[in-house]
Amino acid sequence: MTAVTAGRHRGVGARLFASPSVRLVGNRLLMAIPITLGVSILTFWVLNLIPGNAAQQLLGADATPEQIRAMELQLGLDKPAPLRYLDWLGGAVTGDLGRSLVSGQSVAGQLGERLAVTGELVAMAFVVSLVLAVPVALLAAYRPNRLFDRLSMFVSVTGLSVANYVLALVLVLVFAVRFAVFPAIGFVPLSESVGGNLHSLVLPSAAIGIPMFCLYTRFLRGDLVDQMQGQDYVVTAQAKGVGPWRVLLRHAFRNSSFGLITVVGLNLSTLIGATVIIEQIFALPGLGQLMLQAINTRDMAVVQACVVVFAVVAVLANLLTDLLYAVLDPRIRYGSR
Amino acid sequence: MAVLLAAFLGIAACSGDPGASTGAAPADETSAASTPQKGGEITVLEDSAFAGSWPTGLDPATNTTGGANIAMMGAIYGGLFLLTANDDGGDAKVTPNQAESYELLDGGKTVKIKLRQGITFSDGTAFDAEAVVFNLKRNLGATCTCTPKWPLVKDGIGVEGGDTVVLRFTRPYASVINAFPISNVNWIASPTALKQLGDDKFRVTPVGAGPFTVVSNQLSSELVLERNPQYFKDGLPYLDKLTFKSIGGDQAAYQALLAGQAHAYEGMNTVPLMEQAQSGGRLTVTMQPPTSPYVVQLNSKAAPFDDERARQAIYYATDFEAIAKGLFKDRFPVSQSFTAPGGLFHHDSVPGYRGHDLDRAKQLVQELGGLKVELGTLGNYVAKQVMIALQTQWQEAGITTTIKDYQLSTLVQQFNSGKWHAMLQTAGAWDPAAGVGVAFRFASTSPFSGVADKALDDMFAEAEGTVDPAERDAIYTKAGQYISDKAYAPFGLAFAPTNLTAKGVHGPGLTTRIPPLVVNSGVLWDEVWRSR
Repeated sequence: MTAVTAGRHRGVGARLFASPSVRLVGNRLLMAIPITLGVSILTFWVLNLIPGNAAQQLLGADATPEQIRAMELQLGLDKPAPLRYLDWLGGAVTGDLGRSLVSGQSVAGQLGERLAVTGELVAMAFVVSLVLAVPVALLAAYRPNRLFDRLSMFVSVTGLSVANYVLALVLVLVFAVRFAVFPAIGFVPLSESVGGNLHSLVLPSAAIGIPMFCLYTRFLRGDLVDQMQGQDYVVTAQAKGVGPWRVLLRHAFRNSSFGLITVVGLNLSTLIGATVIIEQIFALPGLGQLMLQAINTRDMAVVQACVVVFAVVAVLANLLTDLLYAVLDPRIRYGSR
Repeated sequence: MAVLLAAFLGIAACSGDPGASTGAAPADETSAASTPQKGGEITVLEDSAFAGSWPTGLDPATNTTGGANIAMMGAIYGGLFLLTANDDGGDAKVTPNQAESYELLDGGKTVKIKLRQGITFSDGTAFDAEAVVFNLKRNLGATCTCTPKWPLVKDGIGVEGGDTVVLRFTRPYASVINAFPISNVNWIASPTALKQLGDDKFRVTPVGAGPFTVVSNQLSSELVLERNPQYFKDGLPYLDKLTFKSIGGDQAAYQALLAGQAHAYEGMNTVPLMEQAQSGGRLTVTMQPPTSPYVVQLNSKAAPFDDERARQAIYYATDFEAIAKGLFKDRFPVSQSFTAPGGLFHHDSVPGYRGHDLDRAKQLVQELGGLKVELGTLGNYVAKQVMIALQTQWQEAGITTTIKDYQLSTLVQQFNSGKWHAMLQTAGAWDPAAGVGVAFRFASTSPFSGVADKALDDMFAEAEGTVDPAERDAIYTKAGQYISDKAYAPFGLAFAPTNLTAKGVHGPGLTTRIPPLVVNSGVLWDEVWRSR
């Protein structure tokens, strides 16, 4: 390598590391380490506080103390809790999430099988909520307090008032039982049929996505109305003769989208949390179902792994939110003075 | 919000298919029911909180929840013995299945089980006495609570000829055969497959000699089975494919059945949904014969129930007949002992049983200077309803009652602490000596008993070892009388879960009545069929 080429490479590298966005990504990824560690310690601690352990849960109410003790020895639950946590952590940092206390299966294998289901469900719910919320909020904000706005407000408040498991049951009653247009339970893998896969996820993703849609609609509509009614740049644009739709879409929506992105980013963990219940109702073999079963059987290794996955996803979602700010507003330069 | 929901629910309520049956089966359905048809597939839903949870897999030696997973285990392994009954649940008896016959010798101290000839596991290896003995020894060392506690002599399991297994006990153990269908020793795994696959793989894809073989198994989520072409019964199983799916509760399962996404659901216990299913007429509703009545266990080892007057006050203050009528529209019978109409040795009444007598209860409470009771239960729909009703009834007698709904782990802690007062639990089994039988709630040695009474222990031991059914009946009747006389625990509602099936699905234990083994009945999956 010539001195010129090496200098050029150093220059590229230096520029890359000097980039505020790259530094932001790096910082956030570094922050993910203590966050994940903290979450895993908290989870382990809380699960240890709950009465009973995997041995007792597995053997049930009929088990004798001798049977429970034998099972505890078999599962390694006789060791002190901090030692068990360190054992787990030692494996996790080397990429070995261990084996399920209950089934003996590889935890990584179980996560791999189920992550795709939950990932798809969350993605679809996310798309459903945003694809519906943006146009409805825009239309409502275009003519505030008119019929469409009031109707959208009614729907939003209604949707926000219904727990997603109730909504899930109502959706099944209407669209699966009454009209038989979507399946009530089950999951068709993407590898089996793309159409079947999407079809099987419509109701579960709607059950999660509709309350989110209502929240986003209310939030975005309120912010848009606020922008349209009180901001100088809107008045200026209107004074220049820019049409109301253009002002709404090109100016007000761009500004309001910052708030929306923040809310969406913050709500991702709510979205993931909802999968735990919705996967039970729709018999979906996802991560939420796995985590609930693992909590019920106090299968610490599986619960820890699920929680860590959720924590990492939450950290990444927040990172993505921050990066989107920079993409949407070139004035934002992280780390610049 | 309410308007929208009401509108949705209104639509759903009117969603009955106008062509569907609304009560009695239509003529074509009735005639079809008599002629089993071959082929087809069904999906069976199981509650994720019980039968739909098989986290440790389906190896009889390592499946700690085997008692809950009787459906899956029966479909894969078949069973040495099965509990069968008439369609109405009458004349229930344990009948040999993979076993051909059995003999009780030496007054019940020796049992010889002769196996059917020509059975093979689905991997083609022989189902013989050696394989059975290998499994019995392996399963008896298992951690499952469905592992029976056999009083075996040293090396008490042996082979005689190539087709007979011999069990030798230290004392008469006549109820051993009745205990088979609810224990893991009933399920015989292929020793060859076990060796080839290893424990971890075998628990996921087990190999037995039952009517179905495993296609795929996602633990506690979905088990897909297909017909075992080497099944030993000619022409069976009827179904080509059988899928079990875990689902989050009665409501979701009911809706999935109505939507046609599944064909059966075992073990529904939400009474309003049962009634809705019955009145809707779109599903076949089969209530199983009850075998285990609810009992208000009173901890006679500690205050306040170490005083017999306090226990008597509870008897007199309790009106289970009113609860059965008011809350459950007489859907469930009321027992006065640890047996129920679907089980062995049941008698409708116990002479001298203390029924509801509010004045007497008040008088006793006054004599005691007041009575404060903590009543707990392991919650399900029926138990919670009954507990609240009891609190109200006891309040009328001046008994101050605090109710608690326990999780499994905290319930166990309560029992182990010995500080509990009263627990609403179920007692008994199809055979009182088998499985979670009467001794579980009343024997001195059980951690889940509120009674320490040698006389009662002796009666249970004697009944367990007695060969003659009439003599056993007499002993259990005496034990029931003794519990009543001593006011150890008032018995009540004999609840049994219900199966829901789509029209056109038929099968013993699914659409006919077979007494439940552990909550659910042992469905004979090889005879389940679907009309097309």
